[in-house]
Amino acid sequence: MGLLTILKKMKQKEREMRLLMLGLDNAGKTTILKKFNGEDVSTVSPTLGFNIKTLEHRGYKLNIWDVGGQKSLRSYWRNYFESTDGLIWVVDSADRLRLEDCRQELSSLLLEERLAGATLLVFANKQDLPGALSKDAIREGLALDAIKSHHWCIMGCSAVTGESLLAGVDWLLDDIAARIFTAD
Amino acid sequence: MSYSCIGTEAVCNSQDSSSSSAQRSGTSKSNNPSGGSGRSAESSDHQTQDTPTPKPLVAMRVKKGCNSTETGVPVTTEEELLRKPVITPEDVLGLQKITENYLCSPDENVYSIDFTRFKIRDMETGTVLFEITKPPAAERGQGDKKDLDPNAGRFVRYQFTPAFLRLRQVGATVEFTVGDKPINNFRMIERHYFREQLLKSFDFEFGFCIPSSKNTCEHIYEFPPLSEEIMREMILHPYDTQSDSFYFVDNKLVMHNKADYSYSGGP
Repeated sequence: MGLLTILKKMKQKEREMRLLMLGLDNAGKTTILKKFNGEDVSTVSPTLGFNIKTLEHRGYKLNIWDVGGQKSLRSYWRNYFESTDGLIWVVDSADRLRLEDCRQELSSLLLEERLAGATLLVFANKQDLPGALSKDAIREGLALDAIKSHHWCIMGCSAVTGESLLAGVDWLLDDIAARIFTAD
Repeated sequence: MSYSCIGTEAVCNSQDSSSSSAQRSGTSKSNNPSGGSGRSAESSDHQTQDTPTPKPLVAMRVKKGCNSTETGVPVTTEEELLRKPVITPEDVLGLQKITENYLCSPDENVYSIDFTRFKIRDMETGTVLFEITKPPAAERGQGDKKDLDPNAGRFVRYQFTPAFLRLRQVGATVEFTVGDKPINNFRMIERHYFREQLLKSFDFEFGFCIPSSKNTCEHIYEFPPLSEEIMREMILHPYDTQSDSFYFVDNKLVMHNKADYSYSGGP
């Protein structure tokens, strides 16, 4: 029995998943985290570290990590890669000017060995804003179709209204579960 | 139904390593079974809140039959641990009851870890039951700290109503800041007891903390089911429900906080 198999079995027992949420600053990561957990989102301020939530959802024990996206913090992201099952990349769909930055940051993350086994969910956030790019425009802007290394999916969403947050997370969990918790 | 838990006596942590570095006395690296030492810190930086409120950090992974012997961790005693130069997570996981003393002194918090917020909410109604904050160390000023008990801020007293014990799912948030050194491996172990019975033991690894960061962690969990009998006892005997919170950096104990709980508050 290989180490990977043992690890899979251990995770299976607890049905535990670690999700890492990253993205540029002001993308809406913390708001997504709070909204998803039924918290007030009117007073969110920039994250100068991390926000963690541990919760049970659909019988899984989720550890969700939201790490600040300011430029000065991005070099610390790698400290949170270990054991990540799912990567949630959050995009401010109205921030056209930084879409290229956003693409670059994501593409360098996908080269990380410790994220190699993670499923990628892209949230095209702020769909409630009038100037927001569509999910398909974001998909193109981030060159998602070129990704062959990871399972991925993009969802348009709004952290403020809560639209599609649950659908996105549920897709992520299904994909991870299919990889980790099924037969060796 | 109202969970108007009384937050007024909750004492916010006001630990400040600079003020207490010279005062190891009450913190018992000495093997001093003066049970009172940890209980005297109910003063200082009181933050009284109007909002209905209860406690933080109950956040538990509930283990059934939590005797160390069952989980394979060797049983330890406080006396043993007080003699050790370094206390590890396994050491405190082996404890069978609440400690009489603090197992490390305030000045062992060399990473300047500072708890700045505790919050608890009822997940069923979304109501914030309890929230207590303290200003960051820089804003607390240098006032008359020398007069403070060195253990002030390491102890919190919570007063809840009986209804609190009937909550089903709660979210407990802590917020903490860290000093200008990165922390590689930060871990928290919290153990709750009613008298000699371990109600829950919670173990969480934060892992890395960014230097000068502010971080939050919310544990959303189901309350452990308690028998009617033990609930009745807990209500009848305020402050016999107690907890130890141990914080480790690189598997070395650097902080130890305590709390006690009453569930007999008014409606």
